[in-house]
Amino acid sequence: MSSLIYIRNLKKHYPILGGVFKRKVASVKAVDGVTLSIYKGETFGLVGESGCGKTTLAKTVLRLLKPDAGNIFFDVPQDTIREITELEKTNPKSKRLKHLREQFDVAAFSGEKLLRLRRHMQIVYQDPTTSLDPRMLIKDIVAEPLVAQGVSKGEEARKLVVEILNRVGLGEQHLYRFPHEFSGGQRQRIAIARALVCKPEFVVLDEPTSSVDVSVRAQLLNLFKDLQKEFNLTYLFISHDLSIVECISDRVAIMYLGKVNELAPTDKIFKSPMHPYSQALIASVPIPDPKKRKERVPLMGEVPSPVNPPAGCRFHPRCPLVMDICKKAEPQMFEVEKDHYVACFALAKR
Amino acid sequence: MDMGKRWKEFRTAWQPRIKEWKFMFKRMRESPLAIVGLSIIIGFVVIACMAPILAPPTSSNPFLLSADTELSVLTTRPTPPTVKHIFGTTGDQYDIYYACIWGTISAFRVGILVVAIGLIIGLLFGIVAAYYGGIIDEVLMRFTDIIIAFPGLVLSMALVIAFPTIIPIDITILILLTSAILSLIFSAFKPQRKLLLVTQIIVLVSLFLYITNPITVGLNLSRLDKVLISLAIVGWPGYARLIRGEVLRVKNEDYVEAAKAAGCSDFRIIAKHILPNTIYPLLIVVTLDIGSIVLTAAALSFLGIGAEPNSADWGNIISMSRNWVSKPELLVQYYHTFLIPGIFISLFVLGWNLLGDSLRDILDPMIRRR
Amino acid sequence: MSENSLVEVKNLVVRFYTYAGIVEALDGVNLKVKPGEILGLVGETGCGKSVTSFSILQLVPPPGAIEEGEIYFNKDGKVIDVRGLHKEAIRQMRGKEIAMIFQEPRAYLNPVYTVETQIGEVLLTHRGKDLLERAMQTLKKTGRKASFENRVYKMMLIKPKSITTRIMSRFCSKKALKAEILKEVVNLLRSVGIADPERVAKMYPFELSGGMAQRAVIAMALSCQPVMLIADEPTTNLDVTVQAQILNLIKELRENYKSSILYITHDLGVIAELCDRVAVMYAGNVVETANVYELFDSPLHPYTKALLESIPRPGVEFKSIPGIVPSLINPPKGCRFHDRCEFEMDVCRKVKPEFIEVKKDHFVACHLYGGSK
Repeated sequence: MSSLIYIRNLKKHYPILGGVFKRKVASVKAVDGVTLSIYKGETFGLVGESGCGKTTLAKTVLRLLKPDAGNIFFDVPQDTIREITELEKTNPKSKRLKHLREQFDVAAFSGEKLLRLRRHMQIVYQDPTTSLDPRMLIKDIVAEPLVAQGVSKGEEARKLVVEILNRVGLGEQHLYRFPHEFSGGQRQRIAIARALVCKPEFVVLDEPTSSVDVSVRAQLLNLFKDLQKEFNLTYLFISHDLSIVECISDRVAIMYLGKVNELAPTDKIFKSPMHPYSQALIASVPIPDPKKRKERVPLMGEVPSPVNPPAGCRFHPRCPLVMDICKKAEPQMFEVEKDHYVACFALAKR
Repeated sequence: MDMGKRWKEFRTAWQPRIKEWKFMFKRMRESPLAIVGLSIIIGFVVIACMAPILAPPTSSNPFLLSADTELSVLTTRPTPPTVKHIFGTTGDQYDIYYACIWGTISAFRVGILVVAIGLIIGLLFGIVAAYYGGIIDEVLMRFTDIIIAFPGLVLSMALVIAFPTIIPIDITILILLTSAILSLIFSAFKPQRKLLLVTQIIVLVSLFLYITNPITVGLNLSRLDKVLISLAIVGWPGYARLIRGEVLRVKNEDYVEAAKAAGCSDFRIIAKHILPNTIYPLLIVVTLDIGSIVLTAAALSFLGIGAEPNSADWGNIISMSRNWVSKPELLVQYYHTFLIPGIFISLFVLGWNLLGDSLRDILDPMIRRR
Repeated sequence: MSENSLVEVKNLVVRFYTYAGIVEALDGVNLKVKPGEILGLVGETGCGKSVTSFSILQLVPPPGAIEEGEIYFNKDGKVIDVRGLHKEAIRQMRGKEIAMIFQEPRAYLNPVYTVETQIGEVLLTHRGKDLLERAMQTLKKTGRKASFENRVYKMMLIKPKSITTRIMSRFCSKKALKAEILKEVVNLLRSVGIADPERVAKMYPFELSGGMAQRAVIAMALSCQPVMLIADEPTTNLDVTVQAQILNLIKELRENYKSSILYITHDLGVIAELCDRVAVMYAGNVVETANVYELFDSPLHPYTKALLESIPRPGVEFKSIPGIVPSLINPPKGCRFHDRCEFEMDVCRKVKPEFIEVKKDHFVACHLYGGSK
């Protein structure tokens, strides 16, 4: 399968300003070196606890935030990627690299190129109440991407808006209303319509079902599946609800404190997680079946602050398999079985 | 019929907004203070509109008071209310009734113009500072702080005295400057290519005109206009600060980021997303301010540096009564010279204050309802 | 009121009088909490779970009002009619006999006071006498029996509300009392699993992480050893691993203190993990109550069945309940679930089903099981 998105060593740090002159005294290392690829047409699940950097990663890929280091390749052929990677290692200051990056590396896009990119990548936010402008009519909200990018306007745009609203289960009678007149599930559908109106290829779904009722959740998830088939979409599905991720994703990556710990196809990662953090995480999800209650030892401690992550492997203070090397060096991702990647020294030894 | 369809489209587009306004008015009707405030303002508006009927102008400039010649021969003291002069006259035999009626128009003019100018400048500074942040925010806000640091009344007094009565304005320079600033703004925000091109052409044309054939025009400022301008200069920092706070709050909301993700330019985001969501607290402050600005203008007129000596202005009439109320018994005897215009001012300010207060109560739950 | 219940709610009706209309929030809720058990209250947003729990403590905010129904609380064998209690008695009960913890712990902690101060306030309110006596003991031991401080404590014991006492206590540093409070707070924090309680006691709420803040709130709730704890979605906002720790803590509390817990949530997984009995609510009614094993094994009410089927399972298509939750301003007549029910019958549209015991200890409100009696 060809990869639609390839992220290489992506970093995003937020500076913490302090002192009289507001100098940078520390930085929150929200995303600290993530490498992964998302294949065309798949649903890529991204899970992790709060503060692990999953939302930051998604927004950085969409260039809503400017990355501090690393590359983002959107639908770029393999040899160009190879050339850029080579040049970065051998001759980082060459003009050719600069030119190539401005052409192909989303992390280096600006101006017109960035604007055109927005047509291909969109996002659906978690809370539909705040992601829709409360003082705009639905028809303006959904038509906004079309108008802002100059794709179409007026009567033509209106037709496209009605078309996409029908597709998500709303109708023409909803065009002239305000967002607060709708329920949470309907608002989320409006947000989905807005994301899909200019026919993007890649959609980031940032916990789209967390703020919605349980009974509406299933409707939305079915809608996502149908739309993916119909429009040939690639999803990045972020969630902290592991049971939903298990049902909707093809592959899953688990993040902890800005780095990816494990990346594997869904059934492998849930049936046989390898990284100790993944194991603890999946074990702590309560199972909706009282017969399957188990006496489990929960993971001790709390997630450390991303301002001062532990040296070496981020997880070592809480890890049951901690070794000496874990405190000094950071483990790299390696393929432990087919398509199943882990970053752990203890597993590498075996 | 294209027109018929367009009208129907227009109507359906505005229907939800009209529904919202209707809800707002219903809430207004339920609050007695709002009704009182609104009726006072409407009363003043009626007076202002019917001024030519209620008090027929005595000369070509209706704001110029003319003395009653018969009475001025007889006495130099303020005459009490009679049938001919319903509210009496001042020492120079100006009809107080006439001055109060035409003073209403003056008051509205001062209040609304000052607030409008202050709002425009304040919005510009506040929104740009809050949206772009960083050093732009620092510079603009420090400048605003400098203006705030001046004591308002003192600054407006100084400006009134310092402003020349006739300002020679070079029209070409004015056009040059405005189009230059506009083209800078457009090149930063990038709304549309055509606009930028048009402004740049205007810059060039006006530059050419300036070099070859400058056109000068003398702008005649009445004293009241000077008061207007100085009050606006003193008043805009408050609005700037207020809108900056609101924009900072709204800037990080999801829907602004969603608009960025949709590819909106900065200009579009500010105009369509940020402005409609931040303007409401400002509207409340504006209604409250109109009253206090008219009060300040009246105070300046009372001090003698406001309106011209014989123009129809409430503060002016009260200042004319200054000479006549030196002793307590004179206060009672000549009550009509200061009490009646004073009542007009108080009612005007009260009306706007009540309106502003009730707006705050009404708009807040409406915002919360969303 | 049955013998073996700790709290019993019968036919509770609560209405909210709002601008938009009268919201029939609770429409005859029946609930029973037995001593020492964990009762799960599960339902979607807006079904009335929080309102039920507030009603038990008479904390329903205006414009809401409890219109009908009975609430009984079994205090050491004496049955108290909670609705009939006057304000002071209810205030004594809150926090002491029945404590409550909420969803967002940091929103329920005052941001300008440290943890120590806040838990100390609760301790003073309900266990003030105990602490004062201990403080006086300490003073006696160190030989300062006749000091000003001792006099103040005596006055606080005898005449706590008089003005002289208050003025005197203002001028007194009360070091001994504060030391006692700190000791007690540290004990409490340790008992809820906080690793270094001395440090945490001196912290402000914004310095605490979500899990720690929730533990602090639980400590505050337990400070008076209540017989019943009402937990209103305490782990919904927490990470999964932290949630597992808190659930373990709650299980431990039940073991150690033998208190009953009314656990409100919308997460069926947590219910299956934690609870002994479950009550399912929909649109202001309790539609089914049963033992947890029985509920998951053989649910009777169509809503419960639909809820269990809508749990996402890998490989299976997502099943959802068609329709949306009805507005409570104009609720549907008869059974409130009828327009979304696949077993809808004619009688469901007209008559509201009774809440009856269909099997042993398994109650359902549905016409399918003879609810029209």
